[in-house]
Amino acid sequence: MKLKQSLIIAATLGVILVAAWELYWRSQGRQPNIDDNKNLWANQRAKLEHYNDNTVVFIGSSRILYDIQLDIWIDETNTDPVMLAAQGTSPLPIFRDIVDNTDFNGTLLVGVTPPLLFSTTYPEANFIKVAQSLVDYYDKRTYAQKLNHKLSIPLQKNLAFIRDGDQSWDTDVDLKMLLSQIHLKERTGPFYPPFNNFESITLDRHMKMPQKMVTDTAYSNSVKKVWAYILGGDFPPPEREATINATVELAKKFQARGGNLIFLRCPSSGLFRKIESLGFPRNQFWDILIENSGGKAYHYEDYEQFHNLNLPEWSHLAEKDARFFTTELLKIMKADGALTNSKSD
Amino acid sequence: MLFNSLSFVVFLVIVLVLYYSKIFNWTNKKRMLLLASYVFYGLWNPPLVILLWISTMVDWTAGNKLAIEENQRKRVMWLVLSMVVNLGFLTFFKYRDFLLDNFTSVINTYGYGYRAKPMDILLPMGISFYTFQTMSYTIDMYYKKIKPAKTFLDFALYVTFFPQLVAGPIVRAQDLITQFYEEKRVTFNQFAWGLFLLTIGLFEKTVLADTLLSDTSDTVFGSKGILNSIDAWAGTLAFSGQIFFDFAGYSTCAIGIALMLGIILPDNFRYPYASIGFSDLWKRWHISLSTWLRDYLYIPLGGNRHGITRMYVALMLTMLLGGLWHGAAWTFVIWGALHGIYLVLERLLKSKIKIKLNAINGILLALLTYTLVNFTWVFFRAREFSTAKNMIASMLFVNSEGEKVLESFDIIKVFVLITILFISHWIMRNTSLKEVSLKTKPWLLGVVWAIMFFLIVIAQGSGEQFIYFQF
Repeated sequence: MKLKQSLIIAATLGVILVAAWELYWRSQGRQPNIDDNKNLWANQRAKLEHYNDNTVVFIGSSRILYDIQLDIWIDETNTDPVMLAAQGTSPLPIFRDIVDNTDFNGTLLVGVTPPLLFSTTYPEANFIKVAQSLVDYYDKRTYAQKLNHKLSIPLQKNLAFIRDGDQSWDTDVDLKMLLSQIHLKERTGPFYPPFNNFESITLDRHMKMPQKMVTDTAYSNSVKKVWAYILGGDFPPPEREATINATVELAKKFQARGGNLIFLRCPSSGLFRKIESLGFPRNQFWDILIENSGGKAYHYEDYEQFHNLNLPEWSHLAEKDARFFTTELLKIMKADGALTNSKSD
Repeated sequence: MLFNSLSFVVFLVIVLVLYYSKIFNWTNKKRMLLLASYVFYGLWNPPLVILLWISTMVDWTAGNKLAIEENQRKRVMWLVLSMVVNLGFLTFFKYRDFLLDNFTSVINTYGYGYRAKPMDILLPMGISFYTFQTMSYTIDMYYKKIKPAKTFLDFALYVTFFPQLVAGPIVRAQDLITQFYEEKRVTFNQFAWGLFLLTIGLFEKTVLADTLLSDTSDTVFGSKGILNSIDAWAGTLAFSGQIFFDFAGYSTCAIGIALMLGIILPDNFRYPYASIGFSDLWKRWHISLSTWLRDYLYIPLGGNRHGITRMYVALMLTMLLGGLWHGAAWTFVIWGALHGIYLVLERLLKSKIKIKLNAINGILLALLTYTLVNFTWVFFRAREFSTAKNMIASMLFVNSEGEKVLESFDIIKVFVLITILFISHWIMRNTSLKEVSLKTKPWLLGVVWAIMFFLIVIAQGSGEQFIYFQF
């Protein structure tokens, strides 16, 4: 058996094939980026084991993740932000984790996306399950998993075809995802429109919307199509009482130990705003939650400067607008003395 | 640590560099391998390494005592000690909640209203494999079939050798410990063949099992409704392929890695989906477990030495316990029972009907065997009996109007892949990968190797755990 010859051919051809694959994806406009996965989240969660007086925690869904620009937050408040918001999730499982499994009593900002927070507390609902899976992953993470993530970072930073995401919207160039985009005859119902990636995140989970979402309307419209598909489905009526009670219970516990709780309603527009206004009217959901919880609250509709911001796909702010939003929001919060843990106050 | 992970690549490179460097003599190389094996296991959950140490200490002590002890009562005592410790661990960690559930169900039928709280303790990875391996040493020592390991280091390495620690092959002491006695001289061809096997194993796991088949199987078995027959068959066939590629992939990786270190591990799979009948299947599927069950359960239960009825009872008991070995659930017991029934029926039929095999009836019988195997996989994969019942009904075309959960491409993908799998098993039935490779032109082997490597890289498996780790 002439395995030496085979091995040389395999090594040479293998490297050529991988290089060609990388060049192909770069030619398609893909750039290396970090994936917002469970390890990135768990690394942030680990910071709560040794938090300090300056620690500020953010929970919620992707809106607070995109709309709060952490570099501005750090510069303006001199605090250590820990971003625990998770895309497409209800804040309840992570809020419960912080209240039950840590003794953190600093400032906690809870991003409220009405369809995600007020729909249900049912553990099997996807937006509850995904958030809970992050909490569970952190709890059970092995040393090998930590090491794997550390080793994957240089690859993620340098190779465009490397994806290490948990959700379908993170991983659009791995073999499984590429195969799932092959559509033959429709069999189970209309095909799900392709969900193009629009995240750019740092290791500290500072999320920015890529500029392409602002400059390439067709690209941002493809994301709108996905939202329209999702929002066009049938949904059971929201469990208003159960979700508000669950949030209030956690809020009371957190405040009772001295925590500074702030609810934040980030902007939405277009179809999202329409559905949220109709399905989750402010006076029946947000106002009742704030009244019962006793937390501080900021709703974008209450501030003139937040009325005409740019949300390229109706749900998240473009980077420039997110920077404006964060800056202005901090001015308002500081004026109110809302950030009790901020050194600048 | 998983073979299909970045940390393992780094780990293996470090181990190989140290192993082939001139800084260690053979004893120190073995010490290094032992330490590396503990690191390999401990990176998953460090405290559970203690279980490995206890198992090692108990069986080392029992083995040494059995080597010199002539008093039969004392010999039995040492054997029982080993069994109690090993099976005790297995029962506590693997079967505790299952036993508790069944106990609760039984006493509640008498109206006690007892509620037991599950202890929810983590199942130590690979516990079923390494306990069976260490027990085989003590049992063989009891029957004086083998000599004791020369040193504690050799024995500890036998228990813990990282390539096969968590999912086999379950290796017998005489096949592995003796290999540790002398320094290994690995030729380039051996090393490269090991690397080739590692590539094949990773390809089977990450590309074929995880990328091409797992989602289809998960969708079908995760569905709550009554399924369309095509979907039920596609899901079951996908699982049959997934579990084969997953487990055979692990074994192939283990054999390849060991070979890179100059250690030879036995085959664990020999193209099982081309089996003609179930006796043949169990000579080809998870060979190291089936031979273990044969030698340490079926034969001690009487085997075929005490008449037909006793043989059938021994066969059924062996398969039932074999099923339970895979998991603490009644669905696994049913899986074992079905295999037991198939084996009994096959023996009955063979005593009545003689068939002269040729290519045509051979492939038809192989297809029949594979079809029947698929019905057993339903119980193996389904988490609840209701799911299994609905799946079987759909596969028997009872539910013509069942729910469609798979897209056309998924169905075509599964049927094409499984057809290729079946045909390749049939072609390879009486040969081996090594023989075929010897006949293949080196450049062609190199191209195939490169394509497998490329597909592994672009599949980017996110470290999916091997199915058999949970057993």
